[in-house]
Amino acid sequence: MAHETTRGWVGRRALRIEDDKLLKGRGIFADDLHLAGLLHLTFVRSPHAHARIRAIRTERAAAVRGVVAVFTGHDLAARCKPIYVDVIFPSYKAPSRPVVAVDVVKFVGEAVAVVVAESRYVGEDAADLVEVDYEPLRAVVDVEAALDPAAGVVHPDLGDNVLFKGKFATDKFDAAFASGDLVLRERFRSTRVAGVPLEPRGCVAAVEPGRGTLTFWSSTQIPHMLRTAIADLVNVPGLSEAKIRVITPEVGGGFGTKAHVYPEELVTAALALELGRPVKYTQDRREELLTDIHARDHIYDVDVAVGRDGVLKAVRTRILTNAGAFPSLPFGCTLEPTGGARMLPGPYRLRNYAYETYAIATNTGPSGAYRGVAQPTCFMAIEGMMDRIGRALGIDPAEVRLRNLVQPEEMPYVNVVGVRYDTGSYVAALRRALELVDYEGFRTQQASGQPRDGKYRGIGIACFTEVSGTGAPGFRARGLKRIPGFDSALLKVEPTGAVTCVLSTAGAGQGHETTFAQLIADELGVPMDVVTILEGDTTGGPYGSGTFASRSVVTGGGAIVRAGAKLKAKMARIAGHLLEASAPDIVFENGLAFVRGMPGAKVTLREIAENAYSMSSKGLPPDEDYGLEATDYYDPPLVTMANATHIAAVAVDPRKGGIEIERYVVVHDCGRVINPMIVEGQIHGGCAQGIGQAVLEAMVYDADGQCRTASFMDYLLPTIKDVPAMIVDHIESPSIDAAGGFKGVGEGGVIGAVPALTNAVADALAALGANVNSTPLTPDRVLAFIESAAQSRSAGR
Amino acid sequence: MADEIAIRITVNGTVHERKVEPRLLLADFLRHELGLTGTHLGCEHGVCGACTVLVDGASARSCLLFAAQVDGARITTVEGLARGGAPQPIHDAFHEHHALQCGYCTPGFLVAVHELLADNPEPTEAEVRDALSGNLCRCTGYVNILAAVLDAASRLRASGQRPALR
Amino acid sequence: MKPARFDYVAPRTLDEVLARLAEFGDDAKLLAGGQSLVPAMNMRLARPKVLIDLGRVPDVDDIRADNGTLVLGALVRQRAAERSELVHRETPLLAQALPFIGHPTIRNRGTVGGSLAHADPAAELPAVVAALDGDLVVASAKGRRVVKPSAFFASYLTTTLEPHEMLLEVRLPRATATSRFAFVEFSRRHGDFALVGVAVALDVDATNVCRAARVALVGVGPGPVHATQAERSLAGRAVSDPVIREAAESASKEIDPQTDIHATSHYRRRLAAALVEDAVRQALGGKH
Repeated sequence: MAHETTRGWVGRRALRIEDDKLLKGRGIFADDLHLAGLLHLTFVRSPHAHARIRAIRTERAAAVRGVVAVFTGHDLAARCKPIYVDVIFPSYKAPSRPVVAVDVVKFVGEAVAVVVAESRYVGEDAADLVEVDYEPLRAVVDVEAALDPAAGVVHPDLGDNVLFKGKFATDKFDAAFASGDLVLRERFRSTRVAGVPLEPRGCVAAVEPGRGTLTFWSSTQIPHMLRTAIADLVNVPGLSEAKIRVITPEVGGGFGTKAHVYPEELVTAALALELGRPVKYTQDRREELLTDIHARDHIYDVDVAVGRDGVLKAVRTRILTNAGAFPSLPFGCTLEPTGGARMLPGPYRLRNYAYETYAIATNTGPSGAYRGVAQPTCFMAIEGMMDRIGRALGIDPAEVRLRNLVQPEEMPYVNVVGVRYDTGSYVAALRRALELVDYEGFRTQQASGQPRDGKYRGIGIACFTEVSGTGAPGFRARGLKRIPGFDSALLKVEPTGAVTCVLSTAGAGQGHETTFAQLIADELGVPMDVVTILEGDTTGGPYGSGTFASRSVVTGGGAIVRAGAKLKAKMARIAGHLLEASAPDIVFENGLAFVRGMPGAKVTLREIAENAYSMSSKGLPPDEDYGLEATDYYDPPLVTMANATHIAAVAVDPRKGGIEIERYVVVHDCGRVINPMIVEGQIHGGCAQGIGQAVLEAMVYDADGQCRTASFMDYLLPTIKDVPAMIVDHIESPSIDAAGGFKGVGEGGVIGAVPALTNAVADALAALGANVNSTPLTPDRVLAFIESAAQSRSAGR
Repeated sequence: MADEIAIRITVNGTVHERKVEPRLLLADFLRHELGLTGTHLGCEHGVCGACTVLVDGASARSCLLFAAQVDGARITTVEGLARGGAPQPIHDAFHEHHALQCGYCTPGFLVAVHELLADNPEPTEAEVRDALSGNLCRCTGYVNILAAVLDAASRLRASGQRPALR
Repeated sequence: MKPARFDYVAPRTLDEVLARLAEFGDDAKLLAGGQSLVPAMNMRLARPKVLIDLGRVPDVDDIRADNGTLVLGALVRQRAAERSELVHRETPLLAQALPFIGHPTIRNRGTVGGSLAHADPAAELPAVVAALDGDLVVASAKGRRVVKPSAFFASYLTTTLEPHEMLLEVRLPRATATSRFAFVEFSRRHGDFALVGVAVALDVDATNVCRAARVALVGVGPGPVHATQAERSLAGRAVSDPVIREAAESASKEIDPQTDIHATSHYRRRLAAALVEDAVRQALGGKH
């Protein structure tokens, strides 16, 4: 870099700027917003998984005191265009989705009407009185069964339920597969889960009389894309983006669920515009569980051919992913099948690979992008195979991995599907994790059968690469044309010398305000407390993708670094002009500009700003424009690849099927760490979600497509008693491709916890001959694994 | 019988007299009638704990109480804890240990922690886990919350303070 | 999730409660702790036309010793019972069970009577009352009647309380020098309803012979279930490992649990065996 800066904020455990208002209960979330004349929406939702709507009568509902109007799907079709998620991929086909169902419902919870009323209480009274004549149709629910159209077709106009199919094979794959000394096969089954942020989704729409500008507050992770969707899909003449402002209030967790545009948001916008009064929609928990995107209802059939030394020769997989009833905007339904397929090779040196991967429609809740997407499941598969290779060949599973991991000298490495791993620490992370968990000590104890408390103990390793910071090329490679891929930073010094940065990212608790302030403080050489980060207002700054898929530090951070360089260059030119020195000799430290080697000659950032805004006694430098700001749109390379190793040690109680996590270690590499405290928090939280998926959470649909887990009594989130103490260690392998050297971290926790725990339980029960290959590992399933192994043994296998 | 019930509730030390529909949940009364939006709704069936407040000094789910039911009661919400009801150490410990991310569950936790440390100034880790197992958090994974509570307990003991339950 | 409309009354005396019950019958529900009722109302699964709030009625939340029994008023908060010296000393089985109910915040409001009248098939207190064979005192405008648990718990979420009746108090036998108790359960998470819960009340003499045994399970049937064969296999025998295992196996064979999304019937049988074994061992382990 041409200019020196104060290094000191990046890498610090700076306490969060965000906390004070949240601790005092003063954070304003979507449902906290109150406007005069506010109306409330209550949606009437289908109790059937698949049914024709023969008739719908709303007169009794409309007559309830306090009800302003009731709209059916037919009414709303005139006000909102249907949602069609456009993904550029041969073989992709998608249905059009009306914002509220018109003639047919395709999943339990799909909206069939909406009540507009003075309160949610009244709205629910009226919703009870909406009469719908349904003709139930056969529902197809199971992802594998739905491959056969004879089981029922969700969208008859599409012919069958295969919404997407991807296929790939390296050259001469079959020969490579045949060259293995041993072939292992396994089927891994992951039960559907959901992100379940603690704050249910909500939005408020208000139209300014006169100019007719729509202000739309939404608990969303994608404010800019939401604004575009409203402009595209709400059918009001003259409603362009200039008349739409999307603001994110405090967002109570997202995890990807809020990185989608939902029909209710479009309806809320449309009705506010029509009725001329502000309109609010806050979903309740039942609606959240039924209609927020679901994920990971996946089946992986994996075949691996290995040498006698445990080195992978070839891997083949067929992946089925349940897309639910509709693709979700903007991710469609290709994210999970392509993600699982492309990431399965992981950190391993694999050159012969073949896959078939599917997104299959069923009459269940629509799927979408939930933290980790398909990585928790594809790593359950490949890491599960690595352990099986070890067991089959009598090689320790850690050793199997060491023989297959891409070595440091091979980096940068382009994997078998063309994804570039620029830097990483696959071997170092594994070795460090083995040390921290005392792997040798554990194996010794395990072999000796200690402690003798009747429990089975096992240890599970998960080594993985983690996609982060996907840029435009990365999204295009997956056919996702609706996602820009870049993010932007508008970085400016105000006339008072304060620094403002407007980002297109949109946090939901990840500490962006603090993290990015730390980065800017170092980049510009200013104290952290003069920096203010603004996110989540589409009027405030330039366009961008938003926050999801572990991108914000890569794209937002990269944009800050690049905008910072431009801004600093101008700051230096003006400082040089004021100090009669040349710009390259200017050094910035703690909000002051010095001439290198002349400590007495200095000028404050405020003085530089005043000059830039023509508020000082001296004019601008020659050929300089007014203002002191820089904007950067940053599009990272295809992806940046973080990596980590998780190791879990568990004790399984064969009497009751309970699983206790006795040790948990994470060694994580997200490139340059800006705030280790915040990074660790992301890992803890992600691990908790992974524990949830591994042992507690299941979104269950019965054979008729009824959701059996639509409340917190049945969908079980981990509590403080379910998450153990964890050791978290960091390695930093800065990206050499992404500006700033950053990699993402948000998803790593959940990606690693699922395979680490399934492998640990499998290891614990391996001596019994049990084959643990599915989640969640509920107590009854654990007992079933043990019992079926016992039966196999006694049958003389 | 009446469409509306007259109630008199003290919230964070201030007396409020209102007429409410019997079915108005206490959480909605606090949030929308009184504008105290710090108490959050996460499930409306008593499981997540985000709506926890103190009712006559004992923690309770405000989503499972009707405002009419607590006529005459003294309620403390997170805003009341902040206003001098809670000793600063709990607040500081949460901040210093990064025990919150999105902040949605935080008010419920603060009330539960306040009650825990009033009852039990020297809880073990197991006791903290037991006491807080009714508060869900989806962001933090609880690791830092546990550390914050144990630290808050020790700071309170060191300064001779004890949270008051009113 | 907002409840449907209802009329609300907050009687100030027990007589007024009973008069209202007589007046409204099926149209009314009693509001005690509300920790089970209000979720159902918020989900509109329960839509009483009238809600009778018991919160202002005096003298229904006492805990007192009365000859050989401990009497708990229906409105005794679970948390108050948990903290009561009397309960710990006189009815240790109840004291053991209470911390398993939900979480402290739930127990601050939830009541002993409310939990019994709600009759969730996996709830803890019905197991306790069944194991102790306590007396349930039912009140109505017509008077009082005393019901045994076997005649009180009818089916899933159903008791034999008539619409005009209210559970007034529960009377539990006080512990004696030879009684031994244990309550154990296993649930998916701490505070959840039990997958299976077991309450054991034994009378064991100085020679370690079990004079009497009562073993009640929850989570395995429509209400609390007596494992009568397990009880018979324990009674009159010196309690040893094989005897305990036999009782546990007996219990698992004689119950007929359901399969639901949280556990299969087969699993519940295995779990019941493990928990009966644990409970008997724990009861004998000196815990009084």
